[in-house]
Amino acid sequence: MIDMTQQTADIFGAQLSRRSLMKTGGVLAVGFAFLRGGAARAATETGVNAFDPSMPESWIEIRPDNTVLFRTGKSDFGQGTVYTAYRQIVAEELDMPFSSITTVVVADTDATPDGGGTFDLLGHGMPNIRKAAAYTRQAILQLASDRLGVPKDQLSTSDGIVSGGGKHVAYGDLVKGESLKLTIPVSGDLMSIGGLNVGGNPPLKPVSQYKVIGKSFKNSAVSSKVTGQEAWVTNVKLPGMLHARAIHPATVGSKLVAAGKVDAKRFPNTKVVVKGDLVAVVGPTEWEAIQASYQVAKDTKWTPWKGLPGNAKLFQHLRQDADWKAVPVNKSRESRGDVPAGMQSATKVLTATYELPYMKHAPIGPTVAVADYRPDGTVTVHAHTQNAQALRGQLAMMLGTSPVNVVVKTYAGAGHYGRSNGGNAGAEDEAVLLSKELGKPVRMQWMRNDDMQWSTNSPAAFSDIKIGLNANGKIAAYDADHYMPAGQDDRPIGAILAGLPTMAAPSEKGGWIDSIANGSSDPWLYESTPNLAERFHGTYQVGQKSSPLAVGLRDHSMRTPSQYQQNYPRECAISEAAALAGADPLQFRLDHAKDERLIHVLERLKAESGWQPRPSPQPKATKMGAAVVRGRGVSAMLRGGGYWACAVEIAITPATGAIKVEKYTIAVDVGIIINPEQLTRQVQGGAVMGISEALYEEVAFDEGAITASDWMSYPILKMGEIPEIKVVLVNRPEVGMYAQGSEGANALAAPAITAAVFDATGVPVRRLPLRSAYLKDMLKA
Amino acid sequence: MLTITVNGKKREVHSPDSTPLLYVLRDELDVNSPQFGCGLAQCGACSVLLDGQEIRSCISSVSMAAGKEVTTIEGLSARWAKQKSLSPDQAAKTLHPVQEAWIEQQVPLCGFCQSGMMIKATELLESKPNPNVDEIKSAFTDSGPSAHLCRCGSYVAIIEAVRYASTIMAKGGSK
Ligand code: FES
Ligand code: FES
Repeated sequence: MIDMTQQTADIFGAQLSRRSLMKTGGVLAVGFAFLRGGAARAATETGVNAFDPSMPESWIEIRPDNTVLFRTGKSDFGQGTVYTAYRQIVAEELDMPFSSITTVVVADTDATPDGGGTFDLLGHGMPNIRKAAAYTRQAILQLASDRLGVPKDQLSTSDGIVSGGGKHVAYGDLVKGESLKLTIPVSGDLMSIGGLNVGGNPPLKPVSQYKVIGKSFKNSAVSSKVTGQEAWVTNVKLPGMLHARAIHPATVGSKLVAAGKVDAKRFPNTKVVVKGDLVAVVGPTEWEAIQASYQVAKDTKWTPWKGLPGNAKLFQHLRQDADWKAVPVNKSRESRGDVPAGMQSATKVLTATYELPYMKHAPIGPTVAVADYRPDGTVTVHAHTQNAQALRGQLAMMLGTSPVNVVVKTYAGAGHYGRSNGGNAGAEDEAVLLSKELGKPVRMQWMRNDDMQWSTNSPAAFSDIKIGLNANGKIAAYDADHYMPAGQDDRPIGAILAGLPTMAAPSEKGGWIDSIANGSSDPWLYESTPNLAERFHGTYQVGQKSSPLAVGLRDHSMRTPSQYQQNYPRECAISEAAALAGADPLQFRLDHAKDERLIHVLERLKAESGWQPRPSPQPKATKMGAAVVRGRGVSAMLRGGGYWACAVEIAITPATGAIKVEKYTIAVDVGIIINPEQLTRQVQGGAVMGISEALYEEVAFDEGAITASDWMSYPILKMGEIPEIKVVLVNRPEVGMYAQGSEGANALAAPAITAAVFDATGVPVRRLPLRSAYLKDMLKA
Repeated sequence: MLTITVNGKKREVHSPDSTPLLYVLRDELDVNSPQFGCGLAQCGACSVLLDGQEIRSCISSVSMAAGKEVTTIEGLSARWAKQKSLSPDQAAKTLHPVQEAWIEQQVPLCGFCQSGMMIKATELLESKPNPNVDEIKSAFTDSGPSAHLCRCGSYVAIIEAVRYASTIMAKGGSK
């Protein structure tokens, strides 16, 4: 075999090496090397080779038939991005047709390069895959220059062909018979929430030359899901696999007194496994495991515990008992001016407190995982996770082993909107512990109640806001205090219950992710405000300190995390301030905006929603009577480089509190739109979830436990309740970058609906959810 | 031992008679499209057709299906081919209009609820070939033991896709 390194070349900081092969075939494979500093950190902290040696370690591969495979550590959670936008970005930067990008490999610890949580998939316009593709095109140009004898700067590319000097060569022909490796620079920590980042600045394709981005290509995963071909995580079946059900503690602070025993007559092949406070029932079939788990659960004894305030007293607890002094108060970067002086000069002042409940990610399918622990100490975990590499790290820590012994394979599953962006979704660690204990593959499937009661929550929050208006009805001063318990607890629950090592609980000592500090997540929009103070207060999770299990109400990021909790009070307050000023709430926003993109998106919203200027409340507003009264509201947000504005119309019956959202219009400027059809579907989905959150969602809990356990006790929006939804896409190629495209739609529903209730009734409602029973009481008060 | 017909094939079942159909389909017969969502007849992720009627397989014991025809999305094309008396050749190349519409309209987000949604759509269109938006909403909200729930919020897309499927069906299929 000929194995001769002929040359290496520098490609904008990447290294291209080549070997000629005797055989046909050949490939240009794009691997990575750590930037200085990054390498040392990754080596000491992870000691991991991200790849199975049998797999080609590459990001992108160009093959002799002019097709392309790419790999990404991100997964698909219903955004479709890895199968649509990522394909389009790769095709665009490589200058190939979309159809050439034939294979996408996602989120497998041993087969994908970069890791990192599946969120902000478009990376503020610069996802890893874009730079990787851009480097690759430069390598192609170098190879073509060598082959054709034409200088690089006289070559151009189109549709997978390099041309120049009257000559042409297909990319695939350049790699035939060669083994080419392009090594690109990366930095970061593979198993962290952010994963690795591609470094350097390879030349990018000018936006004006885009051919693939901007078109509505279909999502390849849709066909397999629709025809029953998809490899769902729920379908993983291994030889000899056992079915497990967990029996979780009676409260979030209960320790195990005694586990029940299996009725061996009824369930002869099933057994109970106990590890610390982790109790599970494992049997040969799913139905036997389920039935046995009900029987054993009845006979299992837990210590009683009461350490939660119960949701009726939640805000009293947060305000009076929670320790907001454990971490410093943060201020937003935009804070400016002299707020007390501004307030003093104000002719009118709005003072209001807004409250947001705990909410659930509430995936339609409860968390499930299959683990296969081998006698040699290696384990393979089949899961649905947003961050396979971080999950690997968590499981290795729990087992006290090197991450090289843990492989995570990611499959399609029920979307869960942020719950596993730090690794686990719930069932994985329990599956691993049981498989290790029993020496067999184990499938751990949480039941509906486990998923409602033992998964993490979107944190509750409250905000005190004061807005001073000057004599012209403009904001003279804005003052806000935002309070929220720690928002990201990535500890695997099974490991905690089993008393095994996990990362630390969120604390004042934690870093970016696991600190209890609260910070600004909702960029300020109303630039002409002269005096602005936004303060952010953090504390421990409720119950975390007093629970003998150290769990309490565990929180985790959920769609628009922490920005949801900050944008809701701000946008509600801005609408109320407009009313106090006697101004139209949309015009009031325009009057305080300076950013051209914000102004444009508000103007489009105004036109597309048929908005007629007038102040709130509407002239016939009433808080009484059995007749339907209508109202409308508006909200706006800047998120991840995208501008969003939303208008809703509602109908409410004051006497009963019955509320219906009749129309929802949203204008979206995410810069360059990569795929209009996919973006529209994402926005529509976000809108529906947002309306659901606004009208229904609140986690019920008592003094010991979450009591919401199913879809009756945690209702979500039904099809019959959706309004007319109008999505207005504002394509702005001149912005030169693409921003993320689904979260704004869910966050903006609640403040617009709340403002619409005020518009219809004249009563400011300053809390969620807007369930009929609450509305009825609040309107009566 | 029971015999049930699944997607046109007779299958012997060894699980106890009281086992919910869902676990028999998924675990014993390897028919994986119905999903476990709640096990409580509250979501519709597990829906299948039993002699053309949508049932929740998570709470229906397999014995209920004895001697009856179970259809899941794996069997939708064959069901359509049979209804249209397509030749085996044509049948192999044909998707059910509901599946075709679901792809054309890009309905699934995560897709976990969509097997049940397509089953509901098929049931609806077989009895009401040209449903209007209110009839579609009502079918997915009020007609079964519970509404069909989608956490990703694909309801708008589902309504559009049911309308689209209806037009394909009116033309006798896409070809
Ligand atoms: S799983 Fe059967 S209705 Fe939810
Ligand atoms: S598409 Fe995700 S639950 Fe319906």
